[in-house]
Amino acid sequence: MSQLTAIVTGASEGLGKAFAIELAKRGINLVLVSLPESGLIPLGKYINKTFDIRVDTVELDLTHDESPTEIFQFLKREKLTAHILINNAGLGNWDLFIDKQPEFYRTQIELNVIAPVILTRMFLEQADDQVTSYILNVGSLGGTFVVPRKSVYGASKAFISYLTKCLQLELTGKNVKMSLLSPGGINTKPELLVINQQLKGIAKATIFEAEDVARIAIDGLFKGKKEIVPGQANKLLVGLNSVLPGFIKNAIIKGKLKEHGK
Amino acid sequence: MNILVTGATGFIGRQLCFVLAERGYHVKALCRKTDHPYLIHHPNIEPIKGDILDKASLAVAMQNCTYVFHTAAMAKMWARNVNDFQETNVTGTRNVLEAARDAGVQRVIYTSTCGVWGPTLKYPMNEDDPRVVGFPIAYERTKYLAELVVKEFVNQGMDVVTVNPSRVFGEGPITDSNTVSKMISGYLKGKWRIIPGDGGQISNYAYLDDVVDGHVSAMDNGVSGERYILGGEDVSFNEFFKTLEAISGIKRGMIRLPQRVIKFYSRFEALKTKLTGLTPVFLPEFADRLKFNQKYSSQKAMNQLGYRITPFDEAMRRTIDYLKTH
Repeated sequence: MSQLTAIVTGASEGLGKAFAIELAKRGINLVLVSLPESGLIPLGKYINKTFDIRVDTVELDLTHDESPTEIFQFLKREKLTAHILINNAGLGNWDLFIDKQPEFYRTQIELNVIAPVILTRMFLEQADDQVTSYILNVGSLGGTFVVPRKSVYGASKAFISYLTKCLQLELTGKNVKMSLLSPGGINTKPELLVINQQLKGIAKATIFEAEDVARIAIDGLFKGKKEIVPGQANKLLVGLNSVLPGFIKNAIIKGKLKEHGK
Repeated sequence: MNILVTGATGFIGRQLCFVLAERGYHVKALCRKTDHPYLIHHPNIEPIKGDILDKASLAVAMQNCTYVFHTAAMAKMWARNVNDFQETNVTGTRNVLEAARDAGVQRVIYTSTCGVWGPTLKYPMNEDDPRVVGFPIAYERTKYLAELVVKEFVNQGMDVVTVNPSRVFGEGPITDSNTVSKMISGYLKGKWRIIPGDGGQISNYAYLDDVVDGHVSAMDNGVSGERYILGGEDVSFNEFFKTLEAISGIKRGMIRLPQRVIKFYSRFEALKTKLTGLTPVFLPEFADRLKFNQKYSSQKAMNQLGYRITPFDEAMRRTIDYLKTH
């Protein structure tokens, strides 16, 4: 297999960092994208010295209109072709809709919806059809279930889910594989762990470590899986979703929320 | 000059009190019980009753102090109440920094840990390297969160220097946090017979006296807002026990327990603890760690603080001599 290059957005923290390390372990060159001052440069240096792969870092704000263009101009200048795109950057929250400012939702939609659409479009444009290309879109179980306090976030992930499934149909027969990753909770920032460690039972079983999610996701991506749901408990939830009547699903979600909301 | 040391009965804190006292400083030794057996008696050490979770006691203790060493922490593997880690390590650190700011303390030296980096993939970690795995271990997680609190205060203009010791061992009492001395003393008594995995796992072992000197040097020469790894040599379990055997002259048949077996057993321990509330011997998140090395570079501290590393076998010799007579 020839040398592959992957773009990872939101690479400086949490799941994005885990993706970067997982891909590096597999000998894949990296173009890491994240906000300025987010620790991206030291991360890039560290991965470069540890894995003997090429690592480029691009610091920019993906909510700016010109950012996707800048990423691909950078690739062109460096004479790089990207074979893998990991649309990971995203902005989550846990608030009643009314409690956040309008500007927050604008940013959230720009990052969670517009950026992956434009990046995917530009990525396909430059893809080499002699080599299999891969796109991994990070969705969420929240894109499957309707969860209060996740309004715009959940809607953005439902958008990603539809987009991925639709493009999978359009790309049939092409040399591009596209996967949707639908994780439950992930222990990304330790700040979140303080909440997650209080969870019990099935809610606890849905929580995963970022490095495990990244490993499962990249395995699934290379296997050409349409949707990747890490963990048995999460798979069960997705399975139940298609057979259970609405009122029972709502009862489960509310029960889960009660534990989460403490 | 007055210096406050929190955690004055701890493995690092008590020795630090002694070294500062010997250097002529007036040391206020903060402890929850002033008659604690681990507290060192010295004309320059003044025991002060207090608790880092009791803000009023901190305000009193910090009066007229020029420097504060914050070594107090919950460094155990497990606590009955998981929130204790958060309270002691994060809230406690915030309390100490607030009190120091209000008392006009010149500099705080905060004792963190190499656990904020945790596992190593290839080369020894330095201060600029990122963490490569999550934070399933409560101690590491809360010490990381405490570093974020420190950063907050530094950004507000406070003078705080952070030191990050690795696995510390040396002459001193065997406490819950002091797993290395537990291992050595267990070996000497014939109670410790296990080498985890194939024995190839490497950790960094720091000698107590070096670490204490590094603390004092951080007070004199450290740069505010910076972190300094205070480590020792990177040594595998096999080398560790080979050195222990050679120096003590005691040969024991050691059993190499595969990581999988330890992980399997640790699940029973976790279940036992969940059902009975008894202290676990070992937990799954620690078994997972046995798959990684934990190598750290003290180069920055050597360059900027004049930090020195006592050779591992010399440090081991002194520790064995101490444990044999205590």
